[in-house]
Amino acid sequence: MGNLIARRAAQMLLIMLTVSLLLFAIFDSGQFRRKVAVAELGGFGVATLSDADYQDWLQKKGLNRPFLARYGEWLDAVAHGDLGRSLEKDISVSTLLKESLANTAVLAFFVFLIMIPVALTLGVLAGMNEGSTLDRVISLTAVMTTSIPQIATAVLLTVTLSLGLGWVPTKSAMTDGWSFRELVLPLLTLLLYEVGYLTRMTRAAMSEVMGSDYIRTAFLKGLPYWRVIVRHALRNALIVPVTLIFLELNGLLSQVVVIEVFFQYGGFGRMLFDAANFGDLQVLQAATLVAVCVAVLSQLLSDAAYAALNPRVRFTRAPP
Amino acid sequence: MSRREFIRCAALLGVAAGTAYALAGVAAPVMAGNTLPFPAADPRAKHGGRLRIGEMVARMEDPATYNWNEMANQTRPILEYLTMVGPDNVVRPMLLESWQPSADLKTWTLHVRNGVMWHNGEELNAEHVAWNIRRWSDPALGSSNFGLSTFAALTEPTGEKDAKGRAMRRPLKNGVEVLDSKTLRLNLAQPVLSVPEDCGEFCTLVVHPSFKAPLSHNPIGTGPYTLAELRVGDRCILKRIAKTTDGRDFHYWGGEVYLDEIHFYHYEQENQTAALASGSVDAIYEVSVEQIELAQSIPGAQLLSVETAQTLCCRMQVDVKPFNDIRVRRAVVKAADNAAIKRLVFGQHGLVANNFHVAPVHPEFFPLPPVVRDVAGARQLLKEAGYEKGLDLTIVVGNNDGPWQQAACEALRDQIKEAGINLSVSVVPATKFWEIWTKVPFGATSWAHRPLGTMALAQAYRTGASWNESHYSDPEFDKALSEAEATVDVPARKAKMQKVEKILQDAAVVVQPFWRPVFILASSRVHGYQAHPARQMQLNKVWMS
Repeated sequence: MGNLIARRAAQMLLIMLTVSLLLFAIFDSGQFRRKVAVAELGGFGVATLSDADYQDWLQKKGLNRPFLARYGEWLDAVAHGDLGRSLEKDISVSTLLKESLANTAVLAFFVFLIMIPVALTLGVLAGMNEGSTLDRVISLTAVMTTSIPQIATAVLLTVTLSLGLGWVPTKSAMTDGWSFRELVLPLLTLLLYEVGYLTRMTRAAMSEVMGSDYIRTAFLKGLPYWRVIVRHALRNALIVPVTLIFLELNGLLSQVVVIEVFFQYGGFGRMLFDAANFGDLQVLQAATLVAVCVAVLSQLLSDAAYAALNPRVRFTRAPP
Repeated sequence: MSRREFIRCAALLGVAAGTAYALAGVAAPVMAGNTLPFPAADPRAKHGGRLRIGEMVARMEDPATYNWNEMANQTRPILEYLTMVGPDNVVRPMLLESWQPSADLKTWTLHVRNGVMWHNGEELNAEHVAWNIRRWSDPALGSSNFGLSTFAALTEPTGEKDAKGRAMRRPLKNGVEVLDSKTLRLNLAQPVLSVPEDCGEFCTLVVHPSFKAPLSHNPIGTGPYTLAELRVGDRCILKRIAKTTDGRDFHYWGGEVYLDEIHFYHYEQENQTAALASGSVDAIYEVSVEQIELAQSIPGAQLLSVETAQTLCCRMQVDVKPFNDIRVRRAVVKAADNAAIKRLVFGQHGLVANNFHVAPVHPEFFPLPPVVRDVAGARQLLKEAGYEKGLDLTIVVGNNDGPWQQAACEALRDQIKEAGINLSVSVVPATKFWEIWTKVPFGATSWAHRPLGTMALAQAYRTGASWNESHYSDPEFDKALSEAEATVDVPARKAKMQKVEKILQDAAVVVQPFWRPVFILASSRVHGYQAHPARQMQLNKVWMS
């Protein structure tokens, strides 16, 4: 396990370096500089500047210095824990990142809290009773919720639960402080997809296990039904869903962009969206580092869980 | 001269709007006083409370380089303008008490209002105002103010040209002259009609001479509020100011102000109506036309609207092929049906435009006969221009003011197809559009409201103007426009505008289908919240029940 962690950490560093260098290179263009100028001064303002005045403005902002010099300085600052300052929001990137990550973590916490028991239970029930009415109802519902794009689910839920029934606010800006009522719509939107997806995966794994020889043997041995399910079937059937749950940590970071922007929830996804729109390089760089970190970490956790649940992996040694 | 024109004209000459209304013999909107720009105090008004407004919460860097109206809305309760254009499109003195133009409109004497206190306890004087005007006239600032006639006329050409062949400019040596502590004079390089209007444009908020960007770090203004908290993309909290920074009682010059706090909460344009529907905010910046039905269905909500000079110009660059052939431009214009586009996009709202960028809400608007669609004529013109087999064009649109822009372009596409013009609509992100808006041969640009009809013409169609995106250049047009700009008398100016408008319309530079209305929305608890043609929020007399 120690080797695995070291390997993954080295991979993570390499990816972070490569991606950040690429981002700096991509944003080191006349087009990007113009984008920043337009974001700061507006299209009408930039149009009033002569070429010389435009170059002076870039100089003042430090935007036309050689990109390797800027990249070197940025690397040095990051190594000292300074992620820079947001050009758009005039706030330290660390603060911005901390707050937005905390908000997304709250959302993710509730997603996992509800998704794991619900999806595993439904998936196991469906897989245990393959072909039954219960299985068909669960499977059909899961296919439906995973087939509808999240943006459509968001609109549907807003129209019914908020504008129609008035149960919850339409948006989740939390203007009067944190409120669970405001979290309901983004949470439900994410859950409908996530629960559906995990249910389908669990059902597939469970039905495969239920059809395997060793389960049939267990039944033939006369073991009690629930004992076969709990002791023999579940352990193997849950390997895939559990590893998927860890990988969902990473998947969620991408999904929240749509959800958070739609519901105006101040999380990581919205921060990323705003930064990309503005060309806020420091925030984009920091967000990328976090995304890489979460991706590698979730992969590591997934591998660890897989190893813990699967004795064949746990006891396998790499060939000399 | 109509009464409205008389009032407009009188206001231009520095007559207080209240007096102008009285002279015209019509009931003026009830104002706080003869020289104050605000509505009169409502006897039912209650002090206190907080108004929660849904709009995009933006940075507050340098008011002179603001590029979103929302930035100015957040700042307007803190900093103020020299003049204020009211919801009725009439300009009134604000930090100025009055102004006098010379007969040739090249010299303007500005009188600074007495008794205006900065948040640091100093009194506003002519030096402070001069410092701001000089700053707005600095070509290197990158301010859209430099595109306004007044501030451009405070500069002169250096004789050099930049890499793109544009004439370089520098500030006039004696352009802004301080006569005494409350009086200053503008010595302009050419006659300018719109000095009062230019001094109320959204980037001309007056800052203290100690100003250093960003404003949000040390906001010293003359308004009744100060900045308590700013979190870009989240919230902007303003609170009534009671003490100056040197500990004295702050006295606000503009009379009673009711709200204790103004909270701006970040909601994207398309989310604002829904936010009000669920009670998250009390008022919103704007209702888009596609959300009007939703807005009308909110119990007790007030949907307010105003006609404006905001528009979409589908402009063609006259020096780029194929638009350098006027027959092609005329074919595009002839094949379009402006009234039908307006009907499709705004229904019964808004006004039909006629391709010369002067609106019915402008005092000098001269109504030319409407443009009549003529598909056969368009086909004939294309044939003569050598495009008898049809013509492929692309129009670039940024939707920076809303999806209605794209809808208008798509309607245009469907209409001109009948004449054999295959138009593809290229939609680019709003930020991207502003990077290329002056470069694309055929582009759909949204133009904001200007109080005078001559203002947009001077900025967008005069030879070599900063925002001349169509590259249109016609000495005859320039001369006619200059003559109109040098005419104070509104009926005389209106007569001169006939020629200006006709030249531009005949040159077929733009397909300009409509003048769009502005809709705003507020809950029943909000009083005194008015729709403004330039979407300026003026909250001094707003109160909550």
